[in-house]
Amino acid sequence: MGSESDMSSRVMLPPQVEVVPFGLVSSTAAQVVAANLQALLELNVLVVQPWPEPAHALVAARGQYDAGLILKDLAATEGAPLRLGLMGKDLCLPFLTYVLGESQLGGRAAVMSLHRLSDGEGGGRTTRHLMLERAAKVGLHEIAHVLGLEHCRAAGCLMKFSAGPAGLDRLRMGFCPVCQRELTRLKIELA
Amino acid sequence: MSTPLRVLVVDDELAMRESIAAWLVQDGHQVGKAEGGREALGLMEQREFDLALVDIKMPGMDGIELLRRVKESHPDVLVIIITAYGSIESAVDAMKAGASDYLLKPFDPEHLMLLLEKMGRQKRLMQENKMLRQRLAEGQMAGFEDLVGGSPAMLKVFGQIEEVAATEAPVLIVGETGTGKELVARAIHNRSSRSFGPFVAINCGAQSESLLESELFGHERGAFTGAVKARRGHLEMADGGTLFLDEVGDISQKMQVALLRVLENGSFLRVGGGDPLTSDFRLICATHRDLPELIAAGDFRQDFYYRINVFSLTVPPLRQRREDIIPLAEHFIAVFSRETGKPPPELDDKARQALLSYAWPGNVRELRNIMERAVIVRRGGLIKLEQLAFLEEGPKSGSAPLRLAEIETEHIRRILQAHQWNITQAAAILGIDRTTLARKIKKAGLRSP
Repeated sequence: MGSESDMSSRVMLPPQVEVVPFGLVSSTAAQVVAANLQALLELNVLVVQPWPEPAHALVAARGQYDAGLILKDLAATEGAPLRLGLMGKDLCLPFLTYVLGESQLGGRAAVMSLHRLSDGEGGGRTTRHLMLERAAKVGLHEIAHVLGLEHCRAAGCLMKFSAGPAGLDRLRMGFCPVCQRELTRLKIELA
Repeated sequence: MSTPLRVLVVDDELAMRESIAAWLVQDGHQVGKAEGGREALGLMEQREFDLALVDIKMPGMDGIELLRRVKESHPDVLVIIITAYGSIESAVDAMKAGASDYLLKPFDPEHLMLLLEKMGRQKRLMQENKMLRQRLAEGQMAGFEDLVGGSPAMLKVFGQIEEVAATEAPVLIVGETGTGKELVARAIHNRSSRSFGPFVAINCGAQSESLLESELFGHERGAFTGAVKARRGHLEMADGGTLFLDEVGDISQKMQVALLRVLENGSFLRVGGGDPLTSDFRLICATHRDLPELIAAGDFRQDFYYRINVFSLTVPPLRQRREDIIPLAEHFIAVFSRETGKPPPELDDKARQALLSYAWPGNVRELRNIMERAVIVRRGGLIKLEQLAFLEEGPKSGSAPLRLAEIETEHIRRILQAHQWNITQAAAILGIDRTTLARKIKKAGLRSP
């Protein structure tokens, strides 16, 4: 994977999704997420220059960032491509202790966090390879929500809800036939 | 997995109400929103809800008062009370007042999902029980997936299928031969989150140990004499779906150990293979044998038994659900009549009495076979007593048992006669191709009249 310029030189069409890193976040993770969005969803994806960490979304009492407020920032620009924010810090919602990702169903934006994706069994850390695989899964799941797909009940489908990283490991890197069909339809509408 | 629910979110805080509602919509639920008790009760008059998520602290009517009113006016609506840390006593009051559960703000996402799954199961069971009671009261023939029966014993089985289908737990189905254990396993699969995946069944009792090992685990090319190419096993084929091990009581201790290792480690090797493989399957086992007795005799491993018997389900023998005999017989008459293209005949009174008084050692499978034959050999629109093979031939003492080949020849002869020696029709009913049937006719020396 290369830099923004490398990626944009290969993507001839205007991007349909922008991956927006916030602050100091792993550029490899951003590129892996983008590459998987491009490969599995067949969307033109561009990793843009990092945005500053959204200080106004920090919930000081919890030491986490409010994913809902970040979504509003990402969706604010009229006519922009769909956006997937990538945070290194932990995300939460007012009613949830944490979220791995959050998105606007059928909307413009999603945000995800790498914070918990390195968690291994028994409080240890997992391999970088597995962390990146999990990041790709969260990114695909959230952007599929933005395209309009709801959670799925089929075992192993990427649209099945996973509360934590261990749940992500039980998902395949792909969608069940029903979700795949629905995605194709939604992408035609997007085009 | 959680069933899509109709959820009413009642919270006076706009941000909280909107974010919970948005999350639930994303999870596939239909969501209504109300900022207080009065609005919530008004919405419940207009629309049906399965579940209400109610904040305990609201101005005017508080959550506990709303809960009481909901339980009076809409007792079928499940209520979960949302409360903040430090007000656990209020949560206890809510449970006493009829709340199904409570959530402490902010919720753990996994806990929220598990709670929604639990509510979904509860709601589905409530609906299923209501429907089954209604069908029973109306005296209708009840059915569930491909299972037929309205007896209390079968209604219990249907309820258990619903309950366990919503989980990932291994299931052990126990029942006599011919009771329909595989149909129960299929029903669990069809109603589970794995229904998009494969249902892979294998009869463990019909295989030698080495063949069963190869069938289950697959083999690499050259693993043994005759293994000319690599082959996927049933464990691999069941990935994403359900693996059904029929007659699990017949497998050897060595195979039990091998399967136990798969269930514990989640990985396995093909026969002759070196690379560990993984497969994500749900295990359903069935047996007609008394496994605790086999364990006591040292023929079945206790650790394997505990692994496969997380949820146990017993399919009753036909003699213990006699009210299902006639509906089942009529069901099979309809099925086989469709196959033969004839209008379905009716059972005459003597035939009905005979069916009801028979002991049914072969259970539903025996009934099925008898009705298949009766549909073929009957004359006119009635099935009579003499056309029911078990009664006509009876357990005649001293009569020499027929050899398998003789039974096959007799069956072919009857099917051919019933279809005026139309080879195409007869082959279709027998489930073999025309060439095979022609070969069997020649070998048995059968001739058209």
